[in-house]
Amino acid sequence: MAEIIGGVGTSHVPSIGIAIDKGLVDTPDWKPFFDGYIPGKQWMADKKPDVAVVIFNDHGNTFFLDRVPTFAVGVAESYTPVDEGWGPRAVPDFEGAVDLSWHLVDQLVDNHFDPMVCREIEVDHGLQVPMELFFGRPEHWPVKVVPIWVNTIQYPIPTPQRCWEMGKLLRKAIESFPGDERVVIMGTGGLSHQLQGSRAGFINREADQAWLDGIANDYEKYRDMTREDYVEQFGSEGAELIMWLVMRAAMDDKVELKHKHYYAPASMTGAGMVVLENA
Amino acid sequence: MSDPTQIPETPLFDRERSKQGYRMNKMAMSLGKPENRAAFKADEEAFLDSYGLSAEEKAAVMARDWHRMVALGGNLFFILKIAAVDPAVMTEIGAAQAQMEHADFLKQRLGKE
Repeated sequence: MAEIIGGVGTSHVPSIGIAIDKGLVDTPDWKPFFDGYIPGKQWMADKKPDVAVVIFNDHGNTFFLDRVPTFAVGVAESYTPVDEGWGPRAVPDFEGAVDLSWHLVDQLVDNHFDPMVCREIEVDHGLQVPMELFFGRPEHWPVKVVPIWVNTIQYPIPTPQRCWEMGKLLRKAIESFPGDERVVIMGTGGLSHQLQGSRAGFINREADQAWLDGIANDYEKYRDMTREDYVEQFGSEGAELIMWLVMRAAMDDKVELKHKHYYAPASMTGAGMVVLENA
Repeated sequence: MSDPTQIPETPLFDRERSKQGYRMNKMAMSLGKPENRAAFKADEEAFLDSYGLSAEEKAAVMARDWHRMVALGGNLFFILKIAAVDPAVMTEIGAAQAQMEHADFLKQRLGKE
């Protein structure tokens, strides 16, 4: 059966991708941010997963407001970077883990969790940037992907508790997949940021640090928080952190926090990552 | 959602905003295609008209008034594509939301020296 080899939580700020594109990785503004990901990258290289299940949100690039799936699962053979306004980025296409994707869809729906199923769809920086942060910029990605989109743009967004349930089910589904795939789960988004309204530029370094420490073994409070709590503590766009809950719920009750990194601000965002292994 | 408006200075993109800003956001979304970016650049007002924007919405877009666009239901993730056609830095857009000078915004909100 397929095996979950670990979970990572990470920011997916678009300016991270732009910094890579423009060769700014070693500049004073960005070096401390990228250096902090080196242990995470090394962990990924050592663990050699076959598949990355990436939980992220689209940012008005693939989905418009004409149809807003609360959850969507990709079942495509390949995912191309979408044009976000500047032309598609020169990032390799992402090969889909088609059979695993369909298996997850079967299991989710059988268990009364009903995502939109996407056969032909592009991906934005929400998936691209986490992949680049943990796998660099290879000619071909060393893993296949299962993209899972969560609506965090138009209210009502799903509750943190629903994201948690999604993670629980995802684990059962992955571990019932007949194969020997090594699967890493990537929960993405955040950390604190607010891009809209007069509180724009809101960053909560204290709450971010507490999150990075607590998401491993003090997760209950985050699981039980309301959407309003997320917005208040992490900013309107920082509520993206609910997607880390999907990853965390797919892990054991007790986990080992292998790596952690925080840097702020990346553009207008508190940014960072954790790497978790089942204890 | 009980009452999202209770979080200070934070306009959540709820049904009212989504309905209100639909045309402006749809126009902005279309800038993900190069031919639409070219049309926007060639004759901006005609392009905005083709999406049925009101006079108020047009004025906000044409003035690159990010604060006003959001007030009219624009969602940042869509209207950001306007900054791909007519470049603006994210933190400048943020400063405009907060109605602050860019340098003050960087220092006071983002903690940059």
